[in-house]
Amino acid sequence: MTVRTENAEEYLEAIFKLQHSGGTVTVKRLAAELGLTSPSVSEMVHRLRAAGLVERRGRRGRGRGIRLTEAGLAEGAALVRRHRLSERFLVDYLDMPWDVVHEEACKLEHALSPEVEARLAEQLGNPLTCPHGHAIPGEDGSLPDERLQALTDLRPGDAAVIGCIAEEEGDLLRYLASLGLLPDTPIAVESVAPFNGPLLVRVGDAQYALGREVTDRIMVRH
Amino acid sequence: MSTTVHPRQNETADAPQTDRPVVVCLAGNPNVGKSSLFNALTGESRETAHCAGVTVEACSACTRWRERPLEIVDLPGSYALDGLSGDQLEARRALLERRPDVVVAVVDATNLARSLYLPLQLLDLGYRVIVALNLSDEARRRGRMPDVEALSRDLGVPVVATVAPRGVGVAELEDAILQVAAGGGLGETLGTPLPPAVEQRVEEVALRIAARSDAGLLPPGDLNPRAAALAVLEGDADVTRAVGLSDDGFLTHADEALALEISRARHTETKALAAAAKMNGSPADRWWHLTTAPRTGIPIMIAVIAGIFATLFIVGDLLSQVLEAAWAAWISPLVTSAVTGIFGEGPLGKIVLWGVDGGIIATLAVGIPYILTFYFILAFVEDTGYMNAAAFLSDRIMHRFGLHGRAVIPLIAAGGCNVPAIIATRSLGNTRERTIAAVLATLVPCSARTAVIIGAVAGVAGWQYAILTYAVLTVVIILAGLGLNRFIPGDKGILIMEMFPFRRPVLRQVARKTWMRFREFVWDAAPIIVLGSMALGVLYEMGWIWRLGVVLGPIVEGWLMLPMVAGLTLVFAVLRKELALQLLLVFAAMEAGGAVMNIASFMTTSQIVTYAIVNAIYIPCVATIAVLGREVGWRRTAYISAGTIVLALIVGGIIARVLLPFS
Repeated sequence: MTVRTENAEEYLEAIFKLQHSGGTVTVKRLAAELGLTSPSVSEMVHRLRAAGLVERRGRRGRGRGIRLTEAGLAEGAALVRRHRLSERFLVDYLDMPWDVVHEEACKLEHALSPEVEARLAEQLGNPLTCPHGHAIPGEDGSLPDERLQALTDLRPGDAAVIGCIAEEEGDLLRYLASLGLLPDTPIAVESVAPFNGPLLVRVGDAQYALGREVTDRIMVRH
Repeated sequence: MSTTVHPRQNETADAPQTDRPVVVCLAGNPNVGKSSLFNALTGESRETAHCAGVTVEACSACTRWRERPLEIVDLPGSYALDGLSGDQLEARRALLERRPDVVVAVVDATNLARSLYLPLQLLDLGYRVIVALNLSDEARRRGRMPDVEALSRDLGVPVVATVAPRGVGVAELEDAILQVAAGGGLGETLGTPLPPAVEQRVEEVALRIAARSDAGLLPPGDLNPRAAALAVLEGDADVTRAVGLSDDGFLTHADEALALEISRARHTETKALAAAAKMNGSPADRWWHLTTAPRTGIPIMIAVIAGIFATLFIVGDLLSQVLEAAWAAWISPLVTSAVTGIFGEGPLGKIVLWGVDGGIIATLAVGIPYILTFYFILAFVEDTGYMNAAAFLSDRIMHRFGLHGRAVIPLIAAGGCNVPAIIATRSLGNTRERTIAAVLATLVPCSARTAVIIGAVAGVAGWQYAILTYAVLTVVIILAGLGLNRFIPGDKGILIMEMFPFRRPVLRQVARKTWMRFREFVWDAAPIIVLGSMALGVLYEMGWIWRLGVVLGPIVEGWLMLPMVAGLTLVFAVLRKELALQLLLVFAAMEAGGAVMNIASFMTTSQIVTYAIVNAIYIPCVATIAVLGREVGWRRTAYISAGTIVLALIVGGIIARVLLPFS
């Protein structure tokens, strides 16, 4: 086994998440996810490939897919699991607000040994989701095959339950929490503004207008 | 118990009833203002004393109402009485011990679905209940006030809407207390309907308890047998022990599951009651739906905007004429004689007059008729809650400009006057959005610029040219928005807003809002308008204005192909855009050395259109510049001013050439 840097771990984590959100993982998508340029991403993918963690699929060229190998999959799942367990710990035990824990967990995930991870999961009562509603991979790296849909894709009259919310933007999370738009909250779409405009949603007795940039970040289940 | 039915009769009723105080327990969810209500009922201004001999830890005070003593007991806040948590246990024990004549269930009017559980449980336990719908002001504000009559009918108890901190509904509540204590006021109180199997078991247990009570094993707190049976089945150990059912084998293992069944039935009933009391399908709700559904919402939005401007132009024009006439008739002569008395009739006096006479009437003639009126209309429409619907519908279009839906409000406002529009950009998220919205607002033709377009273009050249002018300005605004979004760095705004259904605006609040904003305009803009007027006075009185013509010549005559005087009026129109038209006639007459009745006599159609477009785009008026400086900073204001001049020259030059063959 080669020495794994934090940097490489971020890549594995990102590829794992993209692979689970569906579609082909390309260098371009990966670069967008990590906020890096395509050339530097290509470079690292090359190294991960040499280490036997990822493989490339499909025809040669720009649209060629990146896939985790079995070893890479286990590694990626473990990182995501540590990340989300850490978030749970920060929220449940340290009472930190849910809008700041993502950043903190990004640091913690690299420091946890498998043993600490196992104890943490036990102490937390083996939670199934992170505070933002994302599923925590099991110890075997499995994720429940739950089909989530972006809130944006619902039509007027549809009702659903908030599954998870993209955790990267603290301001948005804080605002959503103050309005009670949290995971497991029932939500119904009342109306959609013209030209792919915002959604008018009902949560309990309240109505909110949510722009697409918000509804794209909220995943719902039926 | 008394035979008196109505509390008002108590004033003349016989004395004996006044001996024992009416015991009233206040029960309610935490944080619904139960303590405020307690204070309102027993407050310092009232005749109150602490009652001795109370063993349970519940705050209690005595007061009088209509000559009857009342003892008010404040129970710990809880959502139910069946749990094992400290507050619930304490509240239940206090109820059993105090044996209240009346229980007032304080509920949250904004969230009935959660708070009706407790009153239902109290009814199940056989208490005489009154529901106090607290926070009713908040519920009204949000347009979610429940139907009080429906709720009262469905529950079979009096329901009183209260706003505890302001004492609203407290007298009514006390009347209801006396009425209910006297045995009146209650309808058919059914409590929670239970599934037949559960109901059957409750009856069996109740029969057993009734049989036991003959043997002296009385349920505590005067509970009737059915209520005691429910308490037993819901797992109340105190009651179970008191009626001797703890360990006689009558209760089986199967009974343990009933607690959950009863609680579920109560939750179901709570939801049903809350849904029935919802003011659904109210006219406000239906209208709200129509305004946010795209098919009906867009026509409504256009109608509302048209209505706003129609009102503004009619009222504003009327007020403007009245004010200017009044100023010219009464105040202007006084100011003129005062100024010429102090500064003489020479150039100095005339320059000062430009400022104090011309400048102040400029502030008043635009400020009061258009800005004050517009602020009022805007505050009114805002307070109805309609603006949210407009923001919702236009969010996508605003996105193209790097704005979000809420920016539509300043842009609509700009059509009346740029000044309130720019102040309104304050409500937008970040500096980027504010800047873009402010620039676009300065490009929207305000009522003054519309006056020029209507007066000169439509009046002289024909209405089709006025439409052309507006079309050109619309294209300019759209292109400017797209361009700014592209070139100004930074994050786009996001839209998250709570939508409230319509509400009736309160005139006093509308008036206060209008005044606050108008005062801001007067303080900011008036000094700059007066100073700017004086600066132009210097140019004019010293005759330098004609020298300016030499500098402006190539641009005005060469590029824009306009007569020289037209260019000069544009310099002065920075004060008030509608001044451009008046000055055009004056200057033309001065140059011609005689009366000029019509602009058509010295300008062609293409020149008139070019002139109106340049007047609409180039540099905002001084009042706008003043507000802009404070809202987005003076540096940006300088850029915006310079940018609009360049834009006006580009657009004007192009239009002049395109229209040339038609004139």
